[in-house]
Amino acid sequence: MKKQLLIIPFLLFLLILLAFFYLLMIERNPSSLTSNLLNKSVPKFESESLLKNKNFISSEEFGNEIVLVNFFATWCKPCRDEHEYIKRFSDEKKIRIVGINYKDNSKKASEWLKKLGNPYSDIPIDKNGRIAIDWGVYGIPETFVVNSKGIIKYRHVGPITKKVYRKINSLIRELE
Amino acid sequence: MAPSLGNFALWLSLFFAISQFFVSKSNNLKLIKISVNGLLISSLISFFLLMFSYVVSDFSVLNVFQNSHTTKPLLYKISGVWGNHEGSMLLWILVLTIFNFFIFRLYNKNNFKLLSKTLETQAFITIGFVLFTIITSNPFERINPIPENGLGFNPILQDPALAIHPPLLYIGYVGLSAAFSLSVATLNLNNNEKIPWYTYMKTFVLAAWIFLTIGIALGSIWAYYELGWGGWWFWDPVENASFMPWLLSTALLHSLITVEKRKSLKTWVLLLSILAFLLSVVGTFLVRSGILTSVHTFALDPSRGIYILIFIGILGGYSLILFGIKSKKYFDSNYLTFFSKEGSILINNILMVVVCASVFLGTIYPLLVEIFTNNKISVGEPYYNSTAVPIMIPAILVMGVGPILAWGKEDKSKIFKKILPGILLTLIASLIVFLIYQSYSIIGIAGIILAFWIIFNNIIILFKKIKNLSLGMSIAHLGVGILILGITGSSVWQKEKIATMKINNEIQIENYNIIFEKVNEISGPNYVAIQGNFLVYDKKKNIITQLKPENRFYPITNIFTTEASIHTNLLRDLYIVLGEGDPNVGWVVKIYFNPLVIWIWIGVLIIFLGGVVSINTNLKKLKTLTQ
Repeated sequence: MKKQLLIIPFLLFLLILLAFFYLLMIERNPSSLTSNLLNKSVPKFESESLLKNKNFISSEEFGNEIVLVNFFATWCKPCRDEHEYIKRFSDEKKIRIVGINYKDNSKKASEWLKKLGNPYSDIPIDKNGRIAIDWGVYGIPETFVVNSKGIIKYRHVGPITKKVYRKINSLIRELE
Repeated sequence: MAPSLGNFALWLSLFFAISQFFVSKSNNLKLIKISVNGLLISSLISFFLLMFSYVVSDFSVLNVFQNSHTTKPLLYKISGVWGNHEGSMLLWILVLTIFNFFIFRLYNKNNFKLLSKTLETQAFITIGFVLFTIITSNPFERINPIPENGLGFNPILQDPALAIHPPLLYIGYVGLSAAFSLSVATLNLNNNEKIPWYTYMKTFVLAAWIFLTIGIALGSIWAYYELGWGGWWFWDPVENASFMPWLLSTALLHSLITVEKRKSLKTWVLLLSILAFLLSVVGTFLVRSGILTSVHTFALDPSRGIYILIFIGILGGYSLILFGIKSKKYFDSNYLTFFSKEGSILINNILMVVVCASVFLGTIYPLLVEIFTNNKISVGEPYYNSTAVPIMIPAILVMGVGPILAWGKEDKSKIFKKILPGILLTLIASLIVFLIYQSYSIIGIAGIILAFWIIFNNIIILFKKIKNLSLGMSIAHLGVGILILGITGSSVWQKEKIATMKINNEIQIENYNIIFEKVNEISGPNYVAIQGNFLVYDKKKNIITQLKPENRFYPITNIFTTEASIHTNLLRDLYIVLGEGDPNVGWVVKIYFNPLVIWIWIGVLIIFLGGVVSINTNLKKLKTLTQ
């Protein structure tokens, strides 16, 4: 056997390692799954609202301006982590955000928002997860960017981090 | 107080690891001893102080706050320590230092050089992990103000099997570090001492392999009883991450036997032992870095990924370059004949490595596709069923014959005579099974034949008491046969029924009628639940059992889980899951008929016993070596 062949394992290892490095370095998010809903209109739904006394009717709410749709619940730890970014979208960027309260206790949700601040313009309640199914939600938190024509342009699975926050912001600038 | 002490002990571990790294080069046995013992003790202290913080619910510790709650049962407070990324790092370090300690215990005049180098490498690995923990994942981080109560712990993880599953797996993964260090040390030695490094290595590999086996099995048991999906293996990236080192350590174990007996395959063994540990680390941290997503994923943090990848790069780069430069002197030109024990071991080795490679490819293929095409795809069960499984079939065939072949060269005319009884018994038993069940599934029939092939060959070996054949090996192989029986039965002949059922509804599955009698509301220590009561009748209207699946609600974490209820006998499991619903609409009920599942667990238990018998023999050998 040639001596040079013994270095092959190292070369293979190097190759795999470089691939991993590349994946860690690029602006990539394992959670940004492609959605079947991408570039399609938002699913129609109607449900009770946590904030208002009248029902939330999706066809009336989308299609006028850019809207972020954020699925959240009080029992979801990552939702707490991303909350500061959701607030920054609303406070600093003045973007309208619809929060869909997923399989949650409404009383707890109200208290939670009182404590952490409420960035949402309206909160439809998704008691049994029906809305989440229509949106193809994998697991919460999940965030969608809907453009001013009511078309879904971006989907993010998992909590919003600094990187994702910047990415969504630049996307919104593009859409505007 | 306790958390600060724990943090201090963690820094102390770093100190001792560094000192071990430097003093192991010297001849000063006393200094080495201080470092090794100091490292063990300081890691023990930091680990148990974190555990203490969990037990007393000290929520000033961020890690405890995020993962525990005062109402959690004690067992799960304790297992909460390793149920999260930061805490599990402490466990990882502790296991490293325990193996480190055992390596040190083997010291004597003859092996001094080899073991010093081994300890140096082991110290380097420890330094890497302790630094990683301190810099990116310190479990002793505090929060202020101190919260009144914790956030709770994912209830689906509250299961006895899962409480001990991670420690066992870690012992397996980390045990392979000893083989890695021994391999690096062996490659480093210039004047090849007449030290049987492979005998040292084999004991550690065996230990690691036993723990990996039982750890993986417990994970499967958890998935089967707790997830309520009716199955026990899902080809999830984390499952693959434990399965790959298992495959390689199985191959390694068998090659080591060949090295011991025939002094062949040394280069191969040196490479395998490096790869097995690297794969353990890569697999474990691939998931934690967030590169791959999985149900097991801990909190994601890219900085962790970068750090661990650099560390893996150093470990792998160094060891594999060393291998490339130095392994040639271990290369032998012994010719292995096909019909011999070592020939069959080599074939099986190659097949194991190919299976491992195909699992590896399946795990990272989606990533590669993404790099080059920017598309996201996912690889699932069909891929593994059509790649890994078919390669295992010849491996299992060879496994039945290998042990009865002679070392060196087997007289070809005798082979047939040797395997004839096995073939006959296998055919008869398979025929009987076929006549009773009359299933025409080709995969099913193949699986049953392979299982009987292994079972009967090993029973024959055990009865004949052939000398020179390891008892542990025959027992473990028998276990593998039984395991294959269980796997085949439960995957090929599983039946599933999903229905919305109201009270007093009846459903039929195979030969059973199941009546949904009533629901009760019950409450447990930290949950409330709806419990269904199902009466199971056989064809003759005799009642077989009552099954009581639960749909639990954990108010603290606000999570619903399902608790499957299972009736087991030697031939099949009846598995009922109660889903969501209410009295008006009915409840979603999933019923599975899973043949032969119990034999999976029995098989693994027998494999485990075989491993224990083997390690006992090996320890004796090692003892005479190091006296």
